[in-house]
Parts: sequence; C-alpha cells; structure tokens
Amino acid sequence: MRSFGSQRFTSYLFLAPYGLSFLVFIVAPILVALSLAFTQLDLTSRVPSHLVGLDNFSEALHDPYFGQAAVATLRFTILIVPSLIVLAFGLAIGLQAMSFGRNAVRGLIFLPGMFNVVVASLIWRWFYDGEFGLFNFLLKKVGLPHAPWLSDKSWAMPSIVAMSLWWGLGGATIILFAALQQVPTHLYEAAMLDGATSRGLFANITLPQVRPVLLFVVVTSTIGGFQLFGQSFILTSGGPERSTTGLVMLIYDTAFHKYRLGYASAISWLLFAMIAAFVLLQFFGLRRSVD
Amino acid sequence: MLAGLKAISNGAASSAKLHLNFWNGWTGPDGVAMLDVIREFNRENPDIEVSMQRMDWDTYYNKLMVSAMSHRGPEVFVIHASSLPRMVRAGFVADVSDLYGSKFGINKSDFEPKVLAPVQYGSKTVGLPLDVHPQGLYCDVDLFKKAGLTNPDGTIRPPRTGEEFIRDIKATQEIAANGDHDVWGFCWTMWRFNFMSLAPQFNGRYFDQNGNPDLANPGNVAALSFMGDLMNRQKLIPTPESSTGWTGFRQKKVAMVLEGVYMVGDLKTLDDFHPAAASVPQIGPNPGTLADSHCLCLRADLTGKEREAAERFVAFLSQHSIAWAKAGQVPARISIRSSPEFEALPIQYAFSKEVPFVSFPPKTPLLFEMTQEIDLAVEKVLRGRATAKEALDVANQNFTQVVLRDRQENAR
Repeated sequence: MRSFGSQRFTSYLFLAPYGLSFLVFIVAPILVALSLAFTQLDLTSRVPSHLVGLDNFSEALHDPYFGQAAVATLRFTILIVPSLIVLAFGLAIGLQAMSFGRNAVRGLIFLPGMFNVVVASLIWRWFYDGEFGLFNFLLKKVGLPHAPWLSDKSWAMPSIVAMSLWWGLGGATIILFAALQQVPTHLYEAAMLDGATSRGLFANITLPQVRPVLLFVVVTSTIGGFQLFGQSFILTSGGPERSTTGLVMLIYDTAFHKYRLGYASAISWLLFAMIAAFVLLQFFGLRRSVD
Repeated sequence: MLAGLKAISNGAASSAKLHLNFWNGWTGPDGVAMLDVIREFNRENPDIEVSMQRMDWDTYYNKLMVSAMSHRGPEVFVIHASSLPRMVRAGFVADVSDLYGSKFGINKSDFEPKVLAPVQYGSKTVGLPLDVHPQGLYCDVDLFKKAGLTNPDGTIRPPRTGEEFIRDIKATQEIAANGDHDVWGFCWTMWRFNFMSLAPQFNGRYFDQNGNPDLANPGNVAALSFMGDLMNRQKLIPTPESSTGWTGFRQKKVAMVLEGVYMVGDLKTLDDFHPAAASVPQIGPNPGTLADSHCLCLRADLTGKEREAAERFVAFLSQHSIAWAKAGQVPARISIRSSPEFEALPIQYAFSKEVPFVSFPPKTPLLFEMTQEIDLAVEKVLRGRATAKEALDVANQNFTQVVLRDRQENAR
C-alpha cells in the first residue's frame, strides 16, 4: 500500500513541472481572458476598468469589421481545408505507390513546412510582387498579362490559400502517408481475390481504414484555418480593403493598436466558439461515418 | 594587490553611476547614429550611464505601454508627436516644462509654434521635439537630366506647382514600343501619408471646430480626388496592381516620389544613385505637407537624481541634434537648422524648407482608428471602386461611431 502511495507521489512529482507550467501559461491566461471579456479595459482610457456584462460581445456582433473578419476567416478555412485534404491525400497515395526515391520526395514535400510562417510569407511576397515578382515574370514570358495576386479583392485570399497550401501540405501528407502504410495488405489481397476494382478498394478499404487519421487532419487544419494570421499579416497586411483581415488579426489590432483588451478578449472567445462549433460538427459528422 | 584594489574601486565607481534606460524604435541607420551620440554623452557624463534599447515601432509602442502601465517603463523614451495623445491619456508621460528655459539653454522660441503644439497640453509640456520629419518630393537627378528638366547651372528643376508636376511626370516617363512603362514619372508610395500630405494644401481637416469627425470635408475630397484622377483618369501613375513606389524609385524606374526625409538613409546605401529633394509641389491653393516629430519624453514618476539625470540626457540629445540630422532628420530647433553644418546636408536642408507650412496629424487619441478609415477610403478611390466623396463619407460615418463610443466610455 505504502509502495503504491509512494509510486503515486513520484508520478505526480514527474508531472508537476508540466502541470505547473500548464496552470500558469495556459489555464491562468484563459481565465484572465475570460474575465477580461466581461470587462471594459482600455489601457489608454481615463476610466478605470470595470465590468460591463455582455456589452463587449454585443458590440462585436454589431461591429461591421468583426463580421468582415469572420467572413474572411471562414472563406480562408473553407478554401484551404478541402484543398489541403484532397491534395495531401493524393500525394500520400502517390508516395505509397512509389517504389524508389520515396524518401527524397517525402523530404521535398515536407521541406516548406520547416520554414517559419514569416519566412515562407516573405518568399511568397516576392513571388506575388506585381512588378518584379516571379509569377508575373513567368506570365509575361508566356505572353499573358500581369495578375493582381495580392492587390485585388477577389485574388488576394486565393493567393494566400495557395501559399498556405505550399507551406502546410507536407505535414498533412506525411500523416496521411503514415496512415496509409498502416492499412493491412491482406485486406487488399482478400478483396482483390474477390474481384474488387481499384475504386472499390479505395472506397471500401483505404478510406474506412484511414478515416480516424483523416478526422485528425481535418480537425487540426480547420483549427489552423481559423487561426489565419501570419500569412495575411506579411503578404497583404489584411488588405486589399480588409478582405484578408481574419479574426486573429482583428484581435491583434484591437488589443495592440487600440489597446482595448476587454473587447479583444470578447472577440477571442467568439473565435473560440466558432472553432469549437466547427470542430464538433466535423468530429461528430466524421466519427459517425467511422463508426 | 594594487590591480585588485583598482578593480574594486572601478567597480564601486561603476555601481555609483546612475543608470538610465532609453527606449526607441530606431532600428535602422538612425539608431546607429543615435548610439554614437549616447556614447558621447556617457563619456562626457561619467556619473550617468545610458543604455539604449531599440525595437521596431509596432513592438516598441506595445512594450512601452505595458511596461509603463506596470510602472516598469524606461526613464527616457521617444514618442511620435502623432502618438502622444494616446500615451498622454494613459497618464505615464511626465510634464517637462522645466526643461525649457535657462537651465539647459533650450528656449521655446527656438521652435516654431506648430512644432511645439503637439507637446503642449494646457499649461503642461510633455516632451521635447528632437526633429521634424516632413513628407517631401524625392527626384532622381539622372532621370530629370535625361528629360532636360535642368536649370542653366546644370542643377535639376523640381516641380513647384500642380501644372509643373503634371508636366514633369509626362516629361520623365519613358514608354516602350509595346506601351509598357520603362520609367514612370511619379508613383504613390505610402498612400495614407501621400493623402495626408496633400489634404492640407486643399484646406482639408479631420475634425470640425466642435471636435466632431469631418473626414469628408471638401478639402479632403479634393485631395483624394486628385490622387484618384492621376491614377485612374489621367493614367499617369502605375495602378495599385503594379505599384512600384519606393522600390521603383530606388531602381530608377520612377522619377519622383513623395516620402519622408528619414528615407535619405536608405538612398545612401545605393551605389551610383543621385537623389535630390524638394518641397511637395503645391497642387492645391496652399503650400503644405504632413510631418511628424520624434519627441523625447520622461516617465511621469521620475524624481530626484533620476529626473535630473534624465533631463540632462534629453537636453544633451537636443543640443546634439545635428548628429541626428546627419542620419536623415530635420532638427526641431531653428538654431540648429540655421547652422552651416546643417545647410551642408542637401536633402535634409531641402526638406527643412517645408517646416513653416507642415501639418501634424490631428491631436486625437483615436488616430489609429482614424487612419484605419482613411486607409480604406484611399484604397477604394485608387482602385476606382468609389468616388472620393463616397469613400470619405463612409470613413466619416465609421469614425464618428468610434468617437461616440469613446466619448461614452470616457464619460462614465
């Protein structure tokens, strides 16, 4: 009994460093942000901070810039998640089918993801430059007109999505490739003996077998999509006409340029609610099909 | 043993030194020039040691705000005249009225009233302007000479009026056989600054006499219409899709741009580039341009020896602002601007001629919110998505909401 107690104490001791840092750096800021969301705290205001109930949330829901940022965030997420999944899955299947050079290709696909978002965005800012950029140079070479990659409202978000795909594709591909390698080969062999077509193999064996991992990739890329910041901050500064200003950039502006910490916290919680709603929807939708 | 004793006594002397932290956002060559001034101060004042910390302006203001709110801010710091209202309202900037006068030989008469106005809050003076950095016209001397825009003595002849400006844009542009521009005569750079440089020329303003937002007044509409017309109707300026701005100017693909005096440091890094500077051409009925100042400020709770040392340091920087001018600034003090040493700096001297008619951004703690709306309005007009009046009307409506909310919050 004593031995069990001492073992438990030792295990708590090992957990303590992480537990403490989790409490201090994760739980405490969440609680502070929660309390701030119901407070008017403007660092440059003459009025001391005070509770305002749901006023910050109500202001956000009536703020046209909040609506615009929410739409931009949703637009980015809706564009990037399906394209990321389809491309990453396609690449993973391609890697699976390769007999040699697979490791080199895998390394190349993963390479862009090793860049910091700022570095990746700076590289692509040069690619997209209207006058001196690589893409417009190539277009000119083949006799096509310049494209307004980042300076036109209808082009800017898809351009950011393209850059984000280049940057984020490697990670998702590697995860899906690992899942594909875990699918038992005897399932394919048995199905082929029964005369299954390649389409049938994919629909009835591959997809159901990797679906839990697919769920993980969908959920994490959705969360990443909602957190759009670095790419639009560097590539477009949120423009043109705020069309690529996502919710995280709005929170940044509100907290660190306008110093309205209470209102920024309320927007953060609304973003959290949006992410939670989407993730739960995907989780239950995909889990049902897994079951 | 003697060496040991000496080391101990040196250590004691060093610990007896009063340490001052000086924060600013001068991360470029200007910061290097300032470091030289600080080294000189530390050498001449063995009882004080100043350490300078530099970071980019965005990070700087956040860090300054947070540290100051928790009473851990630096003793001496720099605030742009345009950012002062917000920081003053936060309550951590000291009244430094006693800096002016015989104590340090800094007289208010050594500054134009409009340069001092941003640091005046009723009877209090909350900073010491170190410089004035106006927006002006940069010209590429080689492209001007190629276009024949020269005086009999061989110097170039920058445009002074709206008509001359349009004429010179046309004269300096070079169009290839396929219709592409090899060289543009002019290009907008920082749209907001370009707009705010032209607006005063048309009697533009941002607030009416009652302090209510007035972004869509006829002066602002005229200035913004001029910007849009040049790009969209007259087609004399590259469109936003291929806007080359300052980069194009550096690459000799643009003959003229409007930029701040502080960009002269960037041009110095280029080989075989010959810039000249002039006042912003008078497009509207009045001469005018936008300017800002770096103001030296002290922490509000400084007292005793710390305050005395901080004042001594700030006064030293002001007295040595010729060294600062060489890094690409126009000194705020008239006496320094009229020195032969300053007159020998051609670009800075050309910009200094604008000081009598510069306009500072409005004195409002909501400047970020205001410029956010102006940015959107300018963008809409330059992209041809709205007329100047329509865009500024929307900007004014949105900014009015912000002002009303702020008044309501601060009235509680």
